[in-house]
This record gives sequence, structure tokens and C-alpha cells, in this order.
Amino acid sequence: MSNLTPIGIIAAKDIRDALQDRFILIVTGFLGLAAAVALATGAIALRGDLATYAAAKATLLSIGKSIDAIKAPEFYPLRLLRGAIEQIEIIGAAIAILIGYRAAASERGRQTLALILTRPLRNWQFVAGKMLAGFALLAVGLAVVLAGLALLLHLTSGVGLGGNDLLRIGLVWAVALIYTTFFFLLGFVLTLHMRQPSHALLAGFAVWLLLVLIAPQIGDTLDPDNQVAGGVFAQLHIAKPDQTEIMKRFANFESLRNGIEAGSVTKHFERFSFAILGIKPIYTGMAITPILTEMFGNLVWIFLTALGLASLALVLPLNPNRLAKA
Amino acid sequence: MSDFSPNWLIASQSARFVLRERTVALLAVLFVVLVLISAWLGWQATSTVNQIYLQAAAFLAAAGQPVPSNPVLEISPLALMRNMSVYVALIGALAAIVIGNRLVSIDRKAGVLPLIGIRPLHRSAYADGKIAALLGLVLGLIAVAALMAVTTLLLLPALRLTSAQWLQLAGFMAISALYMACFGLIGLAAAAWAKSETVGLLLPVTLWLTASFILPQLTANLNPTAAINPISALAAAPDTGFFQLSGALLGPLSVADAYKFASANLLDYLPQGLSSPSVISPVASLILLTLAAGGLAWRALTRMAMTQGEFDV
Repeated sequence: MSNLTPIGIIAAKDIRDALQDRFILIVTGFLGLAAAVALATGAIALRGDLATYAAAKATLLSIGKSIDAIKAPEFYPLRLLRGAIEQIEIIGAAIAILIGYRAAASERGRQTLALILTRPLRNWQFVAGKMLAGFALLAVGLAVVLAGLALLLHLTSGVGLGGNDLLRIGLVWAVALIYTTFFFLLGFVLTLHMRQPSHALLAGFAVWLLLVLIAPQIGDTLDPDNQVAGGVFAQLHIAKPDQTEIMKRFANFESLRNGIEAGSVTKHFERFSFAILGIKPIYTGMAITPILTEMFGNLVWIFLTALGLASLALVLPLNPNRLAKA
Repeated sequence: MSDFSPNWLIASQSARFVLRERTVALLAVLFVVLVLISAWLGWQATSTVNQIYLQAAAFLAAAGQPVPSNPVLEISPLALMRNMSVYVALIGALAAIVIGNRLVSIDRKAGVLPLIGIRPLHRSAYADGKIAALLGLVLGLIAVAALMAVTTLLLLPALRLTSAQWLQLAGFMAISALYMACFGLIGLAAAAWAKSETVGLLLPVTLWLTASFILPQLTANLNPTAAINPISALAAAPDTGFFQLSGALLGPLSVADAYKFASANLLDYLPQGLSSPSVISPVASLILLTLAAGGLAWRALTRMAMTQGEFDV
């Protein structure tokens, strides 16, 4: 218990600091705004599709033709969260780096790190306290954003969300927390150990660019179906089973593409979230347990990357030369 | 003697200092590497689509079905460089923000502003020098990117560009320089205006995130991951009153949208019939927004307190 008290004190102080200068409120508000815009524009676009379908249906019926020729827009409320999930994977990760940067830079900037370490406190307890505070801030911030989105979805979709839907959103929250914790730890470790905190922030952003935007972008760009507007197979009028048959001859290319994507923790988070929320059509309506089984590899990847950085943060010795403001 | 004017001295000295920074060098190298990757990506993706077409054509012919034309034949050689527009929008803009930030924050952290303040210098000389240094560094990065693009297009077999296409490539490099300069100038302005070093960096990054991932959702319901694929980013906006209005009103301010449409047009991959929903042309938007950012930077730099240098914590 005596080990927990200093950790708790450091964590409580960090949380108090973050709330006092409203930093966490501002960044959570920004993420919430980005996610709400994504949800709202998705809903407006869907409403437009429904109106177009209704008009086309009325026209066909008025001239006595069958409506089988037009496809009704599919409506699954959780699918409207796609844009919001993507905002969490991009902006949420950037915010997590900032929280990690601040957790380390605040002590260096105020010259208080050296002072704290003169107290009867082990280095790992100090680091663990900071990590606990970051984890708690991310947990609450993400919970507020996702709860707000769920409420907005419930009120605007006209269908309402059931217990199963809320459970799925809860699972996404838990995995998003581990995912953003990885980026928090990245910002924290770099800032605590690099000579210049501002350079650490930039290095953190460079890694963020590579993992969050560039690796998925390369994988996505190499997808042959993304090379031609509307999709190459659609343009060639090739049916789905034949597409699979043709793509078997490009197995090596697909392995390379998948390998580049799989190197990014962001892609694992996206695959998990899109599956559990039914955003990817093959998972729509599927029960949670088989999805969790199928997505187990993605979960392990996300968890291990965060755990690896957490271990590194605890193990790396604090360098006295890095204790003061650069 | 004009080589030794205060503006020139400030610009050359600032650029030299920034180039010595490892973080700036890291981002610049990353940008150049990604420009090379973008050329490979364009070539690899196009060649794979061509092979898929050949397989599909054989498959369709065997099944007695009509064989459509090869989509690769409809792709301009310039479109091979389409991924470069994404990397300019991602890493290029971020590198420009960092350069803009460092150009001012180096002086503030070194505490040399009060020294500069007591010299017989007009306030505008400092601002002009910093802006000139930023533009010089951005043009340097774009020149390296252009060299890579030209070399790739000359080396890849079976690619022959017409003189009009070479001009289009030059136009693309020019709008890329404008896009990067726009964010670099915002970086300069924020670093001069902000009391804290962190805010000076985070403010332009937040604007960049908003321009790249939030505004395209409002103007075209474009999800963030679609925004980073040059082809998916050009999906038509939903045909509703909301998106028509938001596209027209926010379009002139949506710098990422303007750059996306202008790049696609210049590199010949803009789908037929698709155009920017903005009330002014994408290139005009880019020019106006860069000029506005320049005005902002000049104002922030000329009003910076020269009596205190250091950032607050």
C-alpha cells in the first residue's frame, strides 16, 4: 500500500494541473467537435440518400414500374460512427501525444522534476504516477466523447440504441483507451528522455505521421480497387467471386500491402472498431463473441504495443541531465 | 552592397540556424523520402491495375463476355505523381509549420530579441527577413521534390510527357509551394504571437488538423482516411442542400480542399465532371489564403515585443 500512495499523489496532482489550466477540457472539446461533425455530416448524407431513394421509388411507382431496380439505402445507426472513429484514430492519437508531452514537460519547464526526485520517492513511482494520470485523463476524455456521440446518435437516428449497441460502443471505448495510451506513452517517454522537450514533441508527431497517416495511406493506395474512380473491378464489371479468383494471382502483392498496413497500430484499432460496430459490411449484424475471436490478433497487437512502451517508460533510468528546462 | 541589407542578413542567418536543427532536418529528409516513395507508389499501383486488367480481360474473353477498355490507358503519366499531393498536404505542411515555428522560437529561446531591438533596424526588416527565410526554405524543399519528380518521369520507361504536361507539373510544384508556405506563415505568426512555446506550435498544428480532416467532412462528407487517398478524396459530395451550401461557403476557406482540387486538375487525375464546389477557383483560394497568412505573419512579427525574448513556461 505504501508503494501506491506516492503514485496516487503524483497522479492526483497531474490530473488537478490538467483540469486547472483547462488544457484537457480544450483538447477533449476539440476531439468531441471533430467527432460530432463527422457524425452529423454522415447523418445528413444518409438523409439525402433516403430522400433520393424515396423520390426514385415514387417516380417508378407512378409510372407503374417495379422498384426492384433501385437499391434501398442501408441504415445501421452504428455505421454512422465511422467518421468519428477515424477522428479518434487520428486526432485522438495526436491529443494523446500532447498529454504525454505535457506530463513530462511541465515538470521540466517549472524546474520541479529535480525537486520531486529529492523526495522519498522511487523513480518508477514517479513515472507510474504520471502514467496513471494520463491513463485516467484519456479514459474520461474518451468516455465523454463516446457518450456524447451515443446520445447524439440515439436522439437523431430515429431508431434508438439498444443495450447491445451500447456494449459495442463500450468495447470500442476500452480499445480506444489502450490505443491512445500508446501515443500518450510515446509523447511521455520522448519528452522525458530527449534533450529538448520541443524536439521530443516534434519527434512524437513524426512517429504519429508515420504510424497514423503514412503507413495506412500506403496500404490504402496500393489497393488496386482504390486506383480507379469507382473501383477497378466495378469499371471492368467483374463480379465479387471472380474478383477473389483474380486477386489470388496477386497474393504476394496483397501480402506486401497488408504487411505495410499491419505495421501500424492505427490499422489494428480501425479493423477492430469497424468490425465491432458493423461498419465493415461483412460484420454487420454479427454477434460480438465471434467478432472478438476473429479480431483477437488486432487486440493483442494494440495491447502489446502499449504494454511495451509502458515497460520501457518504467525501466528507462531518469537521466539527471534531462531534469531541467532545456 | 544590397547583399548585406538587414533583411538579407536576418533571412540568411535565420535559415542557416534552422537548417542546423536536427528535428527540421529529420522532417525535411522524411519529406524527400516520401516524395520518392510517392513516385514508386504511383508506378507500382498503376502497373498492378494493368496486370489485373490483363487477367480480367483474359477471364472475360474466355467467358464470352465483352472486354471493356483498359483503365490504365486513360491515366495520364502525370497522374503517377498523384501521391505526392498527399505527402505535401501531410508531411510538407507539417515541415513548413515546424520551419516557421523554429525561425522565431530560436531567437526567442536564445534571448536575442532585446539585442535585435536596440539595433537601428526598422521593425519590418525583421519581419521581412523571417518571411524571406521561410519562403526560401520552402522553395528549397519544393525544388528537391521537383527534381525527384522530373528524374522519375524521365527514368520510367514508356513515359513521355508533352510540353504542356511539363508545364502542368511546374504548376503543381508552384501550388505545392503555396500550400506549404501558407502553413509555414501561420507557424511564423503563431510562434511570434504565442506566450508559450507549446501554444506556438500547437495552434498551427490544430489549424492544419482542422483544415485536413474536419473541413472536408463539412464540405463533402469526406471521412479522414478517405482524405489521405488521392483518388478517394475526390468522391463527389452528397447531392443535398447542406453540402451545396457548405461547399460554397466553406470552400474558399478550406485550403486542403482547394489544394486537392488544384493538384488533381494539374496532375490529370480529376474525374470528368467533378469540380470544386467553392464559389472561387481552388488556385485563387490558395493564393488568397497564403496572402492572408502572410499578412498575419507580418503583423505578428512587427508587433512582437522586442523587450522580452523568452517564452513563458
